[in-house]
Amino acid sequence: MNEKTTHFGFQDIPESEKAGRVQGVFGSVANKYDVMNDAMSMGIHRIWKDAMMDWLAPRPGQRLLDVAGGTGDISFRFLKRAGHGHATVLDLTEPMLIEGRKRAEAAQMAGSLDWVVGDAMALPFEDNTFDVYTISFGIRNVTRPQEALNEAYRVLKPGGRLMVLEFSQIPNDMMQKVYDLYSFNIIPRLGKAIANDRDSYQYLVESIRKFPDQETFLGMVKQAGFEQAKYRNLTMGIACLHSGWKL
Amino acid sequence: MNDDNNTAPQDSAPQAGARASFDRHMLEALVCPRTQMRLEYDAEKQELISRSANLAYPIRDGIPVMLVDEARTLED
Repeated sequence: MNEKTTHFGFQDIPESEKAGRVQGVFGSVANKYDVMNDAMSMGIHRIWKDAMMDWLAPRPGQRLLDVAGGTGDISFRFLKRAGHGHATVLDLTEPMLIEGRKRAEAAQMAGSLDWVVGDAMALPFEDNTFDVYTISFGIRNVTRPQEALNEAYRVLKPGGRLMVLEFSQIPNDMMQKVYDLYSFNIIPRLGKAIANDRDSYQYLVESIRKFPDQETFLGMVKQAGFEQAKYRNLTMGIACLHSGWKL
Repeated sequence: MNDDNNTAPQDSAPQAGARASFDRHMLEALVCPRTQMRLEYDAEKQELISRSANLAYPIRDGIPVMLVDEARTLED
């Protein structure tokens, strides 16, 4: 009766329903996910992911946990930059991982990659396991993002690094209006045209607007225990990188 | 195209579901998401057993599914 609610896009739903609904969205779009990312962001998501790697500066031998890693975009980039290392791709949605494992890079790097279905709020790993934790366009979909950040802190080794890439808020009202016009009018139509799934992409744009702004999220990163927590805006704040260290 | 041997191992797999096998090295890294205790690997059933939580997590197509909601409760 008194179950807490959370947002699913602009709807309020019981917390217990969120994971299933998110699985529904990503299960539905899995095989079009990469094509849609290119279409919606006009290829800019690749620049953001590269910017993430620039700040992260992967080093040889590092062990990465790539949460909400879906189709492997971040893990592949990380392993290429590190030269050698290991990446565990974890996602709530099985079809996303199956899609990722089909990609050419997955075969080339098979010995350095693991694929696991799991929940960001209850990670199936021991404390102090990973050198780097990434979550790229994923934390927005987690039912309780603070718990995901707490788990990130737990599984990172002392000296380990957190890096979050997520849509954020544009600090300029005028630009935000232009962006809203694009996101609320164009993206669901692209979703219909490319993935034949308007609702999933409607969820996407609504969930972006519901997610905390840069400063609020920075507070959550610190709350989890991370030090030297900082953020960098990408493309005026359409997306943002948050970084923190477990010291 | 001219080298059929490259694809032979996949073609000879009994079925799609068995195409990717579970890598036992992964077991060293995984723990039960509920209790954070170690797991046992049941190769026949393709499950990861958490005695501490009384749960068996399925491995599907070589991918361990470490979700409590998807786990089977162990009998007795």
